[in-house]
Amino acid sequence: MTDNTTDHNKGEGAEGPDRVIGTPSSAEGDRLVASSADPHSEHEGPFPAEETHARPEEMQRKGEKVAAAWFTLAFLGGIIFFVGYFAFSSTEIAEPRIAQYSNVTLGGGLALALFGIGAGMTVWARRVMPHYDVSTPYDELPSSPEEKGSFGDFFMKGAAESGFTKRPLMRRTLLLAMAPLGLAPIVLLRDTGPLPGDTLKHTLWKKGMRMVVEGTEREGEATWIRAEDLGNAPGGMISALPYVQPTEEHPHGLSLNEQAKTVILLIKVGEDEWKPGMTEQQLNWTHDGIVAYSKICTHVGCPAALYEQGTHRILCPCHQSTFDAADGAKVVFGPAHRPLPQLPITVDDEGYLVADGDFSSPVGPTFWDVEKED
Amino acid sequence: MSRTTQAPKGLRATGNFIDDRFHVAKSGEKNLRKVFPNHWSFMLGEIALYSFIILLLTGVFLTLWFKPSMTEVVYDGSYERLQGVVMSEAYASTLHIDFDVRGGFLVRQIHHWAALIFVASLVAHMLRVFFTGAFRKPREINWLIGIAIFVLAILEGLFGYSLPDDLPSGMGIRILQGVMLSLPVIGTYVSMFLFGGEFPGEDIIPRLYMLHILLIPGILLALIVAHFMILWHQKHTQYPGRGRTEKKVVGVPMFPAFAVKAGGFFFFVFAVTVAFSAFVQINPIHLFGPFSPTSITSGLQPDWYMGFMEGALRIFPNWFDFTIFGYAVPTGVLVPALVIPGILFTGLAVWPFLEAWITGDKRHHNVADRPRNAPVRTGVGMAGITFYGLLWMAGSNDILSETFSLNLYGTTWFFRFAIFIGPVLAFVITKRICLGLQRRDRATLAHGYESGTIQQLPSGEYIEVHKESPDEMVHVLRSKEPLDRTDTEDVDENGVEAPSARGLRGRLRTALAHWYTKDNVSFEGVEPHSGHHGQHEEIAPEQAETATR
Amino acid sequence: MTRNGETVKWITARRRHPLAGYVVVILALAFFGVGYAYVAPGADRAEAQTLATEATGDDQTDVARGREIFVRSCASCHGPSGEGTGNGPDITDVGGAAIDFQVSTGRMPSTNPDAQMPRKASMYTQEEIYDLVAYYEEEIGEGPEVPLDVPGSAPERSNFADEEAYEAAKAEYEEAYEAYVSGADDVEVGMELYLTNCAHCHSWSGSGGALTDGKWAPELDDASPRQIYEAMITGPGQMPAFNDMIIQPDEKQELIAYVKDLQNEPDAGGIFNLNRIGQVAEGFIGWTVGLSLIVACAIWITAKQRAHD
Repeated sequence: MTDNTTDHNKGEGAEGPDRVIGTPSSAEGDRLVASSADPHSEHEGPFPAEETHARPEEMQRKGEKVAAAWFTLAFLGGIIFFVGYFAFSSTEIAEPRIAQYSNVTLGGGLALALFGIGAGMTVWARRVMPHYDVSTPYDELPSSPEEKGSFGDFFMKGAAESGFTKRPLMRRTLLLAMAPLGLAPIVLLRDTGPLPGDTLKHTLWKKGMRMVVEGTEREGEATWIRAEDLGNAPGGMISALPYVQPTEEHPHGLSLNEQAKTVILLIKVGEDEWKPGMTEQQLNWTHDGIVAYSKICTHVGCPAALYEQGTHRILCPCHQSTFDAADGAKVVFGPAHRPLPQLPITVDDEGYLVADGDFSSPVGPTFWDVEKED
Repeated sequence: MSRTTQAPKGLRATGNFIDDRFHVAKSGEKNLRKVFPNHWSFMLGEIALYSFIILLLTGVFLTLWFKPSMTEVVYDGSYERLQGVVMSEAYASTLHIDFDVRGGFLVRQIHHWAALIFVASLVAHMLRVFFTGAFRKPREINWLIGIAIFVLAILEGLFGYSLPDDLPSGMGIRILQGVMLSLPVIGTYVSMFLFGGEFPGEDIIPRLYMLHILLIPGILLALIVAHFMILWHQKHTQYPGRGRTEKKVVGVPMFPAFAVKAGGFFFFVFAVTVAFSAFVQINPIHLFGPFSPTSITSGLQPDWYMGFMEGALRIFPNWFDFTIFGYAVPTGVLVPALVIPGILFTGLAVWPFLEAWITGDKRHHNVADRPRNAPVRTGVGMAGITFYGLLWMAGSNDILSETFSLNLYGTTWFFRFAIFIGPVLAFVITKRICLGLQRRDRATLAHGYESGTIQQLPSGEYIEVHKESPDEMVHVLRSKEPLDRTDTEDVDENGVEAPSARGLRGRLRTALAHWYTKDNVSFEGVEPHSGHHGQHEEIAPEQAETATR
Repeated sequence: MTRNGETVKWITARRRHPLAGYVVVILALAFFGVGYAYVAPGADRAEAQTLATEATGDDQTDVARGREIFVRSCASCHGPSGEGTGNGPDITDVGGAAIDFQVSTGRMPSTNPDAQMPRKASMYTQEEIYDLVAYYEEEIGEGPEVPLDVPGSAPERSNFADEEAYEAAKAEYEEAYEAYVSGADDVEVGMELYLTNCAHCHSWSGSGGALTDGKWAPELDDASPRQIYEAMITGPGQMPAFNDMIIQPDEKQELIAYVKDLQNEPDAGGIFNLNRIGQVAEGFIGWTVGLSLIVACAIWITAKQRAHD
């Protein structure tokens, strides 16, 4: 097995009638190397002359010039990069306009430098170096039967000598010893998180909890949402969260985990627009035409927030599951299966909207025991 | 041109130093003489390799500042618009890279563009290998490694996309979590363990960070090295042509020409990536805003390589969701997110073995097939591309709907049907085109090529003059192999069924083999230019070659 | 026939040219490009336009002129007293803000009552719209009023007799705009309100998005702060309403300032922002332009060279 391309005579014998590549056919016998009538005699490259097509000196000289021009351009690109680096200080680039200038000069300079080198090298390879059509045999892949036989023989003898097959007690106890080690990593991963338990089935919402418009930082009486805040006419909507006393850690009172489960859409639907699919209970869970649904899609958990007031559709922008707000958030299109969980709401003594308990079903993507009561 | 017989002293000393310790002169020379067939489509894999190197370089730079932490901070950095906003440290530190580190914005964009180009070039490379049959024996193992690289690259990209904790990236994790929850029995456990509790928790970004910068790139690097070593050992396939046989590879030697060309190509790949990053904004996380589990944007998309899964999630209906003993099995999530990619990647992985089983072809192949000469394979490939492409388009149906004012549900329905019809159509059309090309090849081989010159015969008939094809073309045309099964015949000369053709498997295989080969145009007995009008009396190339010997 | 024959001959003669393949590809790309530009409705929607005249107070309105406009342009669909007809809805309770929004964004008067109207140049100057609103409020109905303290559209040169008056009006407008936008000082509030209540339709960048039934949420690029405000309090089309109690005026100011600041911010990442569409555009460009450029380099490197030249 040899890769040696100089070894042509050997190679050819085995290959049959194929012609050696690059062997000048009678029609193209005259090579155009400018300096020499018989290029073969002067050939000094690493590969045989018949596989090497040298460039005429004139072409090489031109190629050198072009390559040098590219390399010079690349150098200039590098300079631009450095100028760009020092022209904009690290305090200035916080301004987006300056950041753009900085990005363009740094990147433009660098791209020019890289492209120049690439182009120069290409010109070098194409116009200065000779063009090759070198051939070399593919390796014969399967080993010869003798080699295979010898290997197999050796291996089996060695295996027998080791006693691995002959001594079952040792072998089996070794396998036994390995088993706990194999399981160890799985056990070690146990503490990566708590067991699910029923955490996925409950949220923070409790009877009497007031709600706030998500993102607002109001004070005094305006902090909480009143039923009349959604206006008299149907068509209003707002994204809301339960109100929790702000803490040091969470300025809005809620951690992201809690926000992810408690967020609701409050939607004002006209009294005459409810569809017959709404059960008595679901209607009881509304207040004055206001209905509260979980904002988290039951498909894979994106916020299903796109509410069309004319069609009462709540659409999830991720995968276009569509729920009918006037029909208990039943799925009317798309991949989701369960309706959006509804939050029972009512008003407290002071007229603020409050929850009347937790969601009607678990929030978020459907999981294995989602419909099991605990 | 003076002859250098000996290397300069310094070089020789270094060489000797190394050789004294490793004995590498012989194998070194052998490797420098390595031959690489010359074709642009053989550089696609190199694009992937170089993009990966760019990713490693830029990735290391980014880790210098990035803080994989979900601790909430109030941003008081130098990017004015978001000052005072509550965000995670991960997001804040990404803003720091963008707006406080000179060149940080550029490097982050290079990293992202290189990631897109990395996966894109992997796909392009894989398609080239598939359509030219370069996965055939002896290269099946490398094909499998390639698929592993592809899968890991997608995961790597998904995790990287999730790290800055901006609005779309957090939604990517959310969808990932939703998919995990849908797993029967173990779903909630997997999700709680990976996230360290409920979504989003505080652990997921540090954990994804570890996977993104250590584990997956480590495995990727190992696989890429293995892929490359196998390629090196087996040598590259080549396109058919004069002198290019199953036994002999023709091309450019590693040293000096190929080394310079490949080196130059690295700079080209890098240059294009950097030029993109300099001028085209990508993933502007500072404009998206930080992640919040309660916020969402329209037109939300993953990076392109996840698009097919996004599309599957969008168009797969909820009709098959069921409950078993009161436990929910949301097939509307499971099938598109796990089964469809599973089928796609498994299909890719088993194809070389399936094809070899069907055709019974156990020979080594070093000369690439022309896609037209394997019409069923090419058809299946095009069907696969169509399937993937339709899913990918379905993943941006909202953008399509908005851009072209189409009915949103209408686009969903369109894709629901197209996903079945499209691949079948693609298969049939591709196969027909291939067969048509085969017929034309046969005619060209027999009659020479159509010259475009019209002649009027004395009888008044017009003919197009066919000219003798060049030698190279004849070689290419003659590379078509007979596509018959090459091992056992179904029936031996006595009309007795071969054992391998009996039983269910045997019959299935016979049927598949028939399907695979039935329409192929046979080139048997076609002599080059044999059907020619007779004005050329040159020796057939075959004879010419024997003559030179 | 002859011409056809010649064309075919011309093509036949050249189809074997080494560049023929590239030419076909370029032609195909051009075809799709032009086809896209023709099909895409974005072109006319995206057409930048601004509204006429500076914002004036209520005091100079001309109710008579407003009536004239109403009778000419509105009554045919909405009825002579705004009670609605088969072609147009009842507008007696939509309020002056809705009138100003619909007319100033060019959506009304509509040429097709059944379809969603894209934004276009208004048929009336701001003064005429004020007159219309005054007439509406006097004779037709009531509802949310035009938020006059929120800056409206920028003045347009064509509505001014001389450069000086225009410059002055422009400066005044810019000052008011600047004051309104910079009056918002809590990005957190504006951002959260925008991202939780608006972005799911209008997108993070305010470039709009798809709705069901072939409708769309329009892009906000050209919308003036006042128009955004009016849209929020009146809920045009499928958009839900956000009155001043549920999102208070100062919070609306934060929200509007957030989206306007974001839209006006230069793109730090480069000159081309791909219309801020995001990942779909990035993937598309990465494949078509990025990979093509690299492959072009590969073709240069590996292009066949004649053995002896």
